[in-house]
Amino acid sequence: MARIIGGLGTSHVPSIGAALDKGLRDTPDWKPFFDGYEVGKQWMRDAKPDIAVVVFNDHGNTFFLDRVPTFAVGVAETYNPVDEGWGPRAIPAFEGAVDFSWHFVDKLVERHFDPMVCREIEVDHGLQVPMELFFGRPEAWPVKVLPIWVNTIQYPIPTPQRCWEMGKVLREAIESWPGDERVVILGTGGLSHQLQGARAGFINQAADRAWLDGIASNPEPYRTMSREDYVEQFGSEGAELIMWLVMRAAMNNDVNLVHKHYHAPASMTGAGMVVLENAA
Amino acid sequence: MSEAAATIPDTPLFDRAGSIRGYRINKMAMALGQPANRAAFKADEEAYLDSFGLSAHEKSAVMGRDWHEMVRLGGNLFFILKISAVDPTPITRIGAAQASMEHEDFLHLRLGKKRNG
Repeated sequence: MARIIGGLGTSHVPSIGAALDKGLRDTPDWKPFFDGYEVGKQWMRDAKPDIAVVVFNDHGNTFFLDRVPTFAVGVAETYNPVDEGWGPRAIPAFEGAVDFSWHFVDKLVERHFDPMVCREIEVDHGLQVPMELFFGRPEAWPVKVLPIWVNTIQYPIPTPQRCWEMGKVLREAIESWPGDERVVILGTGGLSHQLQGARAGFINQAADRAWLDGIASNPEPYRTMSREDYVEQFGSEGAELIMWLVMRAAMNNDVNLVHKHYHAPASMTGAGMVVLENAA
Repeated sequence: MSEAAATIPDTPLFDRAGSIRGYRINKMAMALGQPANRAAFKADEEAYLDSFGLSAHEKSAVMGRDWHEMVRLGGNLFFILKISAVDPTPITRIGAAQASMEHEDFLHLRLGKKRNG
């Protein structure tokens, strides 16, 4: 069977990619942010995964409002970076883990999920930025990807509980896959931020820091929290954090918090990451 | 969900009503992901907006870069950011406009950045 070798949580703020594109990595605004990810990159180099499952939301780049899938799963051979309005980015395309992705789709439907299945689709910064944060800027990505899109834009967004349940199916899919691939799961989005309305610019550092510890040691309150509470605590766009629950639910109950990092603000967002390993 | 969430102060959620209200603005903005449409927008903004059927009020909000009003009209930030990419306008200025704050004050008071100088 394939094996889960780590669960990672990370922000996916588009300005992170833009900062790398513009060579701003070592400027005073960005250096502390990127420096904190170096341990995550080193962890990834050592872990040598074959497949990265990336749980993220599209930001009005791939899906328009004419059709809004609550959950979508990619089964494509290649995922090109989408033009988000600033022109194409000079990063490599992502190779899909096609057979494993179909296996996950089979498992999902068997377990009563109804995903949209995507054969030809581009990916936005929600997937790009986490890959850049943990793999840098290689000539070609060293892993194949399984993208999972979660609607966090148009309400109703899925419940935290539903994201948790998807993580359980993801684990089952990995453990029932006959290959011997090493799999990392990236739950992305957040942390606190609000881009819309008079509360724009809301950042809740205390809640963010509690999240980074709690998602490892005691995720239960986050599983049972309402969507309204996510919005109140983390801001309207901070509710993206529900996507980390897919990753967390796929891990053991007991995990080791191997690395964590927090920095605020990255653009308008409380930003950070965790690296989790299943406890022995 | 939408009614309960609407009780969080100053926090509009992009729900059914917003999605319906803002459909034209968002569709126009989404199209700016394509270079040919960006060129058309730059060449004759009003004609571009007309081709998406925007009302006079919607057009004036877009052409005046009134971010607060665009959101009130159902514009979702992730779509209308593509307008800011054409300009370009930094996202923090869009945030400040919605918060009705000066940009420097917004950076300092909301985002916690140190003041320049």
